[in-house]
Amino acid sequence: MPFFGGSALKRTGKAVRSWLPFFIAIPFLVLIEQGIALNPALRLEYAFQNINHIGIAIILAVSLNLVNGLTGQFSIGHAGFMAVGGYVSAVMLMRGPPEDPYRIFFVMAMLTGATAAALAGWLVGKPSLRLRGDYLAIVTLGFGEIIRVIIENTPFFGGAIGLSPIPHRADFAWIWAVAIVTILVAKRLRDSTHGRAFLSVREDEVAAEAMGVDTTGYKVRAFVISSALAGIAGGLSGAFEGNLAPQSFTFVRSFEVVAMVVLGGMGSITGSTIAAAVLTLLPEYLRFLANLRMVIYSIALIVLMLVRPRGLFGTTEAWDWVRELWRKRIRKPGIEVPRAAPEVTEFLIDVDRATIRFGGLTAVSDFSLQVKPRELVALIGPNGAGKTTVFNLLTGVYPPTEGRILVAGRDTRGLAPHVIAHLGLARTFQNIRLFRELTAFDNIRVACHHLTRESMAAAIRQGQLAEVEEDWVAERADQLLAVMGLSNRRDSLAKNLPYGEQRRLEIARALATGPKALLLDEPAAGTNAKEKGELMTLIRAIRDRFGVAIVLIEHDMKLVMGVSERILVLDHGITIAKGLPREIQSNPKVIEAYLGEKYAREHAAQIAQAGRT
Amino acid sequence: MIDFLQRLVDGVSLGAIYALIALGYTMVYGVLQLINFAHGDVFMLGAMMGWYASSVWTSESRNPSIAGALAVTLFSMLVCAAVGLLIERLAYRPLRGSPRLNALITAIGVSFFLEYGGQLLFGPNPRAFGVLPHRASSVVAGISIGYVDLVTILTSLVLMIVLQRIVYHSRIGTAMRAVSWNPSVAALMGVNIDLVISFTFGLGSLLAAVAGILYASKYPSVHPLMGLMPGLKAFVAAVLGGIGNVPGAMLGGLLLGLAEQLVSGYTSSSWRDAVAFGILILILLVKPSGLLGRGAAEKV
Repeated sequence: MPFFGGSALKRTGKAVRSWLPFFIAIPFLVLIEQGIALNPALRLEYAFQNINHIGIAIILAVSLNLVNGLTGQFSIGHAGFMAVGGYVSAVMLMRGPPEDPYRIFFVMAMLTGATAAALAGWLVGKPSLRLRGDYLAIVTLGFGEIIRVIIENTPFFGGAIGLSPIPHRADFAWIWAVAIVTILVAKRLRDSTHGRAFLSVREDEVAAEAMGVDTTGYKVRAFVISSALAGIAGGLSGAFEGNLAPQSFTFVRSFEVVAMVVLGGMGSITGSTIAAAVLTLLPEYLRFLANLRMVIYSIALIVLMLVRPRGLFGTTEAWDWVRELWRKRIRKPGIEVPRAAPEVTEFLIDVDRATIRFGGLTAVSDFSLQVKPRELVALIGPNGAGKTTVFNLLTGVYPPTEGRILVAGRDTRGLAPHVIAHLGLARTFQNIRLFRELTAFDNIRVACHHLTRESMAAAIRQGQLAEVEEDWVAERADQLLAVMGLSNRRDSLAKNLPYGEQRRLEIARALATGPKALLLDEPAAGTNAKEKGELMTLIRAIRDRFGVAIVLIEHDMKLVMGVSERILVLDHGITIAKGLPREIQSNPKVIEAYLGEKYAREHAAQIAQAGRT
Repeated sequence: MIDFLQRLVDGVSLGAIYALIALGYTMVYGVLQLINFAHGDVFMLGAMMGWYASSVWTSESRNPSIAGALAVTLFSMLVCAAVGLLIERLAYRPLRGSPRLNALITAIGVSFFLEYGGQLLFGPNPRAFGVLPHRASSVVAGISIGYVDLVTILTSLVLMIVLQRIVYHSRIGTAMRAVSWNPSVAALMGVNIDLVISFTFGLGSLLAAVAGILYASKYPSVHPLMGLMPGLKAFVAAVLGGIGNVPGAMLGGLLLGLAEQLVSGYTSSSWRDAVAFGILILILLVKPSGLLGRGAAEKV
């Protein structure tokens, strides 16, 4: 039994450790409440009223930051979800038992409110999160307003007058305990593979999807979690103030929360927290100015946007600085990546007469391609021939108008790009699409996302599996950086890397998804002759080392002829030739497509001769 | 039937006002991809300036005449255009390269500034407004068309025709459309982007000022927060028609005005705000580019 006992003990210890910040905070909160806040001699009612408002504002700002900051979506209807949670909890509390000494019913009411708000978030988010930017903003604004109008017209919720009196159940300790939990949840999510998935959605949705991240799913999840927390904030607000009125959930309220997130720095949890405090206190301290205070508030906001557009904290976190001071990172040198044995012998990619039309334009017609494991195939053709469109078809960015595409034996019709990535297809992009604001290390870790199994709950609890997986992902990322010669760039932001290294990082990121076939879109674009030579070696090395098949789009003929085993030539969407490099070199149709009909006719003899040698 | 037709007339009149405001939103969005949240408050400013010009600085409102109304409208158009240009220059231009969220926050900041600045100068209470002479309603086939509604519909019609001429048949209009397609290429072709953007703000603000005067005549009162709801709804109208699209804004405004009058006529007027946003959500889910908008697919 020692094994069992030991692991159970360890597990308990782990669970305690994961809630440690919370356990430490609770007695302090209770002490402060009993000793200071409720002490009539100190006359701190007004101060604590503000402090509690700050707590609620922190819950709102940090939760909205999940959507607007981390995931890069743009919601301005947060007050609506706050209202849903607030009203549901308030109705429950008002009809609940008159005494609730252990606050059991109160907790139930809060959780019900959170569930209702989460449900509302799901209902709003599910259909509208496929919209981008401003449109999403307007839809959330619209929903926020509709929720308010519905409440105003429903006698059950007190109509325009509102609900009162709601039993006072929430106080300093409760509000701040929830605020701490909110910060903890946000921080732990951010540091997990799920947090990286959120960030990848913010940075580049197309690339995130190609790296196997379910972007729509993550947007909806961020939205639902954020709404649930806003619902709790609403519930606490009602149980603290003792009343709720629809007038406090207008667009202006939503906007205040957005301002906190932006002021603090999009994506920074520390920033949101501090900005929530500042923007809650600012109007209070400006109260002596009476009517002038909102004017000053608005001017301050405009000026801040002008002088510090990235917010107070940018994307940095206070605990990152602390951690830097605390310890110096020791890194192990790159370890040998285990060679993947090719387990499939059939075709990895099997395209049968795929055609795609955009309106009247046929971009690619009757395209067929079979790729075996470990094969090196090149796709060439003049600009506009439809090469990248073929990649987009393969990876599911566009569905084919006609024809059939199998990846690892599975028909990809109707599959989202991230599912196709899971099947073992990874790609790079012609116009590099790295997650620009993430480090090289994190770019690769995002691509490991679909290989991890930890749940969001586990990430928040910091469970054992989550920790093991985090280590594994970090090790994998470090290895890939080493293989690509990028170890010294580990912590640089992707946007700051030189061009050639960005291309290599993109390849490393694609490899991190654990692909069976790798699609490279013009990897040599913009590199010089020496780098092209290195790239040729690298492409072969990748094939040998990782055992992947490679499909290459390239214009540089030397590279193509040097590295590929088979070549397909596209022109105006039509496959005009396929075969061995030597056959292609002397194919009159190919020469015609590249150099023009006249040239082909005039040099026919030369070409024929070249073909014989 | 008469009842229905009556509501239709009311709807067209309200819709025409929404359309005038929506044009400002849609033109600015076209050239800057910015939701100019302050536009609704420029509309409010138009009404407020009309009130100052007719009730404080002159006694026009006690004895209104057509010529007086024209003078008052012209005055508030000038003030609004100047304020529109100023807002663009001071608040939006420095942010042109930064993320769109920042510009949006700034726009909302400007909106608050105008609202609370207005409250400071004007006081929070509504004031009575009247610049149009009182005339009896005209009765056509049993439907009575109020004098204000008649003026509203005719004025809007004239302004929209003029605007159509400017946008589609003038040099500056061509430049505006070029900028809305691709500002950097337009700049390379010799278009003065700053000038075009300023012009767009000025033009939008002129229309908003007229809309403000008309709205304040229809619901004869003026107060500093009056721009909030009509502003949001006009934005909905712009999205409904396809944001960035000039005829779309006119169509969207008209449809929204009609929908609102019909719903508030047949059910309860407290649901009219929900109608506008319901329509907005529906259109965005079904056809996000709007009724007349152009769809855009992202190139990979």
